[in-house]
Amino acid sequence: MMSVKELNPELQSNLPGVSIEAGFDTNDLVVNIGPQHPSTHGVLRLVTTLNGEVVKEMEPVIGYLHRSKEKMGESRSLFQYQPTIDRVEYLSSFYDHLVFVNCIEQIADIPVPKRVEYIRVICLELNRITSHLLWFGTFLLDLGASTPFFWCFRDREEVFTIFENLTGARMMYNYFRFGGVNNDLPAGWLEEVRAFCNHFPDRLDEYEAVATKNPILMDRTKGHGIMTKEFCLKYGVTGPALRATGEALDLRKTNPYSVYNELDFDVPTHTGCDTYARYLVRVQEMRESIKIIKQCIDKIPGGDGGALAILKKEVEAKTKEAKKNPEIVVPHWDKDWDTMGKKINLLTYKPPAGEASNFVESPRGVLGCYIITDGTPKAYRIKWRGASFSNLSALPELMKGHMYSDLMAIFGSLDVIMPEVDR
Amino acid sequence: MSNHSHDAQHPLNAIEHAEGNVVLEGIKAIAQGFATVLKHHPREAVTLEYPEVMPELSDRFHGRLSLLSKSDDTDLCIGCQACARVCPCDDLIQIDMHRDDDKKPVVTRFTIDMGRCIFCGNCTEVCPVDCIKMLSDFELADYSREALVLDKKDLTLSGQESDEWRAKRGYTPTVL
Ligand code: SF4
Ligand code: SF4
Repeated sequence: MMSVKELNPELQSNLPGVSIEAGFDTNDLVVNIGPQHPSTHGVLRLVTTLNGEVVKEMEPVIGYLHRSKEKMGESRSLFQYQPTIDRVEYLSSFYDHLVFVNCIEQIADIPVPKRVEYIRVICLELNRITSHLLWFGTFLLDLGASTPFFWCFRDREEVFTIFENLTGARMMYNYFRFGGVNNDLPAGWLEEVRAFCNHFPDRLDEYEAVATKNPILMDRTKGHGIMTKEFCLKYGVTGPALRATGEALDLRKTNPYSVYNELDFDVPTHTGCDTYARYLVRVQEMRESIKIIKQCIDKIPGGDGGALAILKKEVEAKTKEAKKNPEIVVPHWDKDWDTMGKKINLLTYKPPAGEASNFVESPRGVLGCYIITDGTPKAYRIKWRGASFSNLSALPELMKGHMYSDLMAIFGSLDVIMPEVDR
Repeated sequence: MSNHSHDAQHPLNAIEHAEGNVVLEGIKAIAQGFATVLKHHPREAVTLEYPEVMPELSDRFHGRLSLLSKSDDTDLCIGCQACARVCPCDDLIQIDMHRDDDKKPVVTRFTIDMGRCIFCGNCTEVCPVDCIKMLSDFELADYSREALVLDKKDLTLSGQESDEWRAKRGYTPTVL
């Protein structure tokens, strides 16, 4: 038998003080991690070849959650397909909806009122917070800290109540429509959001107080799972993982969509390239999201939904009367205050033939959708580009030479969600 | 700790050689963590003792589907099939209707398989007469799949209940 070193001369542990050049012979051990494993965040199977405790090779086996989301779109009308998009990526489903409706808006040239854009941005950024909160909780749980997990769920719950008041659902919103949103804001909703924005930064401080400087967390994350910029670009890794290498690629800044160019926010980056840097970037992103939401609340055209709904009813009634009696003055109604850019009959809606693609910055990275329509109510072809798939594909090379015990820290820091990988 | 002080490569030494006193910093961070956890102790619990305490649900909550009636207890549904056509789950809603002698629509069968419903609310959005709507009822568990297929009798609300629903959610029906 040969020694480990002879078997694979390149295999080097990059941990200080851990050497695999031991003078004894070992056999490789193949370990199946998953598909049902609490730390794989869904059904992911990792076929891992271990040399002692060091990962030699790793092969992700995916597809357990495949629900043919793309094919489903070809057999359903666009509106019929819309609720199922929520399930592409259930932790941040507003983003899936946004790319989808943006594509159709591009194809059919539907205007989007300003108020809708602001409502959408508030929803998106709140959704980014819930998504990052779940990541924060589970990431620390994988590392053995169970307290922050419950705190995160407490705060997610608050945002979900806010979402429920708006859309009626807690996770599967089905809220955005082509050129608008399903329902206007309920009375007092903006105040609820503001109240959350006011106390959430304090909560974040608490999270950071237990985790950020914790020596165990730092030991397990600092210097581990180093992804350089070149490595990220090679695998198409985007999102916080890429920004943790110092590359400030954030589509909200680089290719502003919606109303992001009217808002003032920073793109948090870090040059650490390691698991710890990815952790810091995500925590900072939550603070930036709060900043964005606060600006949106102040800037949203039309303001709170309650007064606006009353005004809208009055305008509609007066417009009807004014047709008969021209002396009646109709109160001012701004086009920006609408919740639909164009009246669309969702039952029979047929977009013109065309194609469009759209990319947005989801909490996990660049999320894209490509749609071809052929003039029928159904799409001819729909293609999804999820960030999780690319981020996961980088894992095998990233894990090479790492200790088995680091797997969950490194994998967790990529924030992969399986429904988005398998679709 | 001095036993391996000559070996700079040793991991324990790496900690000592780092800037500042890492051990002290670590103790400080852990103490801060504990203090934060203790701060939570006097706070009020956020969990609810369900089912003794029921959650307060929003007016827009996506719960069990129902068919509203007119105030005089007659059917509102005109059997137009719009709700069935936009449902993402294909044949989940099944409707049979015919027209009586006055050409008025009569719905003879209306079933919804709640076991397969994904509570998306698509059907409620396209109904031309605001008939199919969602209640705040979320306790739908049953012993068999068949029991979850609700027929017209299970779904229809009385005229009074419908009026209450409309008043609560601020609905002005398009047709009554
Ligand atoms: S809520 Fe959605 S899934 Fe359920 S019956 Fe209505 S359209 Fe179908
Ligand atoms: S859309 Fe409304 S009126 Fe038409 S069949 Fe469904 S419930 Fe009846």
